[in-house]
Amino acid sequence: MATSTWQRWVWLPAVILTGGAASCVGNLGDGPGGDSTNQVTAPLVCDGSTIHPGDSPARRMTRFEYDNTVHELLGDTTSPSAQFPADEVSGIFDNQANTLVVSQLLAEGYMTASEGIAATAVKDLTKLVGCDPKASSEAKCGAQFIESFGKRAFRRPLDTDGRALLTGVFTQALATWDYPTAIRLVIQTALQSSRFIYRLEFGMPQPTAPGVVKLDDYEMASRLSYLLWGSMPDKTLMDAADVGELNTSAQISAQATRMLGDDRARGVIENFHEQWLGLSKLDTLDKDATAFPIFTPALKTTWHDETLAFVDDVVLDGAGDLGTLLSAPYTMMNADTAAFYGVSGGPKTSKFQHVDLDPKQRAGLLTQPSILALNAHVDQTSPVHRGKFVRERLLCEQISPPPANVKAVPPPVDPKATTRERFSQHSNDMACSPCHKLMDPIGFGFESYDAIGQFISTEAGKPVDDSGEIVGSKDADGKFHGAVELAARLATSEEVRSCVVTQWFNYGHGRTTTMEDSCTIQQLRTTFASAKYDVKALLIGLTQTDAFLYRKPVTVGQ
Amino acid sequence: MAKGRFMLNRRALLRGLAGAAIGLPLLEVMGPKAYAAPLPKRLVIFFTPDGTIPGAWVSGSETNFTLGPILQPLQAHKDDLIVLTGINNEAAHHGPGDDHQRGMETMLTGTELQTGPDKGGCDTCPAAGFAGGISIDQAIAQKIGNQTKLASMEFGVSVHEANSWSRMSFSAPGSPMPPVDDPKKAYTRIFGDFNADPAGAKRLAAERHLVLSSVMGDAKKLQGKLGAGDRAKLEQHLSSLDGINKHLDTMVTIGGDCSLPPALGDIGDVYDEANHEKVGQLQMDLMVQAMACDITRVASLQWTTSVGNTTFSQFGLSEGHHELSHHPTDDQTSQAALIKIDAFYAKQLAYLIAKMKTIHEGSGTMFDNTTILWCNELAVGNAHSHNDMRYLLAGSCGGAFKTGRYLDYKGDPHNNLLVSLCQAMDVPVDTFGNPAYCTGPLSGLTG
Repeated sequence: MATSTWQRWVWLPAVILTGGAASCVGNLGDGPGGDSTNQVTAPLVCDGSTIHPGDSPARRMTRFEYDNTVHELLGDTTSPSAQFPADEVSGIFDNQANTLVVSQLLAEGYMTASEGIAATAVKDLTKLVGCDPKASSEAKCGAQFIESFGKRAFRRPLDTDGRALLTGVFTQALATWDYPTAIRLVIQTALQSSRFIYRLEFGMPQPTAPGVVKLDDYEMASRLSYLLWGSMPDKTLMDAADVGELNTSAQISAQATRMLGDDRARGVIENFHEQWLGLSKLDTLDKDATAFPIFTPALKTTWHDETLAFVDDVVLDGAGDLGTLLSAPYTMMNADTAAFYGVSGGPKTSKFQHVDLDPKQRAGLLTQPSILALNAHVDQTSPVHRGKFVRERLLCEQISPPPANVKAVPPPVDPKATTRERFSQHSNDMACSPCHKLMDPIGFGFESYDAIGQFISTEAGKPVDDSGEIVGSKDADGKFHGAVELAARLATSEEVRSCVVTQWFNYGHGRTTTMEDSCTIQQLRTTFASAKYDVKALLIGLTQTDAFLYRKPVTVGQ
Repeated sequence: MAKGRFMLNRRALLRGLAGAAIGLPLLEVMGPKAYAAPLPKRLVIFFTPDGTIPGAWVSGSETNFTLGPILQPLQAHKDDLIVLTGINNEAAHHGPGDDHQRGMETMLTGTELQTGPDKGGCDTCPAAGFAGGISIDQAIAQKIGNQTKLASMEFGVSVHEANSWSRMSFSAPGSPMPPVDDPKKAYTRIFGDFNADPAGAKRLAAERHLVLSSVMGDAKKLQGKLGAGDRAKLEQHLSSLDGINKHLDTMVTIGGDCSLPPALGDIGDVYDEANHEKVGQLQMDLMVQAMACDITRVASLQWTTSVGNTTFSQFGLSEGHHELSHHPTDDQTSQAALIKIDAFYAKQLAYLIAKMKTIHEGSGTMFDNTTILWCNELAVGNAHSHNDMRYLLAGSCGGAFKTGRYLDYKGDPHNNLLVSLCQAMDVPVDTFGNPAYCTGPLSGLTG
């Protein structure tokens, strides 16, 4: 573990607090080294003179990537990964390289899935193989299929061993059984091969600089496709790799720009935000039916879809910038959420459409019912959880849970007392207040939204007091009134922008940052700023860093 | 079910069709399985979360003891139990992670966690990743599992989460064994490949052999080109593939007390708290059946996760288990609630014991050859402590343990318990986990 000293330097959080509060907070740290040869212990000088790629551990496909890939490869539409065990979550993401291994349970899943996918794929054998064994020969058609399918499945032209793997299975299956079986088993073999399941990189043979190699064109094609589509390279990428045109930063940037204009980018944008915002926890969310008679399990799905539709609309189809994401006075609404928001004359179908909201009541992601309901209790709001969400997900801090020997449950609902009154113990009790002063005052600013995210103006017979305050941040400190004002402040906070850069780096590279990445991070922040915090520009920027363009040469391990 | 195969129901079997096998040709439909002596031993890990109320477990002396309110549901099996107190889990006091993470991932490994990005409720501890060593169930499975189709099976009840708070079983450092939460998926894994057509089963096994052997051969070649970290990752993968490949032909004999359970009907949402007990009991049914058929000899049942927060509304509770576990000891209401919750789990353990006692084996039952360890990531919830733990062993493991006793170990190392489990399962080791926290087997367990 690097100490937090450098992180403060790199990340800005610089939580400087008085009293015991500093111990409440950690920052998004670097993970285990894995293959790390990270020797960097002091801040880097980022003048472009030295390349610092950081570590590039082999990436195992996530379930999301598996389904996308078999869809692209063989047209599978069955989402076979639903039968796999869940991808282990590390930090907040489920795609972290050091955490993803293949347990026997998962290997069994790969085996069964490959059998189902292959059985479907060989139903129209001639179309699949593109070769008629009667006109040619089974051996020739097999060899042709192995070259073309093998290249797509392994995302690079077959090398000697890769060809031997598929040819060996084909030949033996043909001798033992028959041609359709041989083709089917080639597919099953490919789908269970390490060459398919992992992205294994070796880089170019000649170093670019001491201890640094470029990726080869096919490795770069896969880096691009999994970063931006969560899937295998398409034909355009493979063609570009074939002719050596995934080599320069400009070529890579041009491909990234093209790819973000493709519908396949939606999956990654949604997958990132789903995890960053914790939306999958809506699955198990429950609300008190007496307190909230309009709450139904179906509503949770609608909230979830609303947020993702909004993210898609802003990032891919709209203004594109983080500021809009965090403060736009509109949402994507369908007939179900129109009723929820109380909008008359709104959408009449299940399709989500842009609908402007009262800008005094709603502003971007933070005021969406998904996030408001997730960060609330079954029967009441939770200033603690809402404040914690802001600190952890938007400021990249980690807040310690309460100490063991305390009653860590919210005070019971009291129709005569407001939430703020009931939570006063946190600020009055010296054991609670050092940490809770970081969270509760932010959360109180959300008191205009009940536990299912509906806008309210009175509570316990009194007008809602939505005054709040941020303390201990780098550049967002100060009092505010209501989540709309809070959202506007966060939307222009450098600390929030840096946090989003970090989150995208961690997601995109499947690892947490180390000190070696400090120039990459600095470059990303500059890119993000000069693009007025456009998220697509940040994604393209991710492809232009040392961490993306280079790797360390493989040191064959013992 | 994979396409093109179908499940053989029990009636069809009993009609005397050619037989059923797990993904393979096989089998003999015949009388009770005739094991070569000695009979196989079984290990079950039974985990429940959030610490317990130590005073509600047991009182008295070694042979003259009374089960407290938590253990009351096990009264019928009292002679088969060893109640263990006073064991200290020293590994949980070191290394990265918060008290729950450390308790959970040292519980079966006896060693410190790896570092990682998961920061929990410990201000001064480095953030944690997964366990730093192999877990006891997996160490035993890797020694004795060669004889069965599956070296081990991990069952879960509402584990749901997949992170460093929710894994206890590890096949290697950093390699968690995810439990299966859905009994239907567990059923498919155990019995889904039973194939009524011996020729079809034989063919399927032959195809799988070809594919898996080829994939493994190629992966070994690739390994030689990789750096240490990626190489280790592939090594883990290879061992998973090997676990499948070497048992494609392992026969499963239907007969006696080994039968194909009927396919499970609609069991609803496995994560619905109202289904907590039902899902757990279905999982235990499957575990016992898998063991009766000698499909595996090592299994675990993990009820939720460390920090598990199940709301037991059937007891009129509105707060979750973890929330209740934080309340101060002088809060009588929450203490009573926690006793009820742990007594609920004791009742589930009694269900498992009773079920095992229905499986005939030799001149007794399968339970005679089994030991079940009931364990927890913490001693006391509101203290987050790892000293003076409460554990329970049920079953003598073929006479290895002398049951019907209460043993207070007065601070002996937790890792010694792990050594004792290995030795009882005929895996000869003198130390387990971090040797700094181990002095050999627990004294006096064997009688």
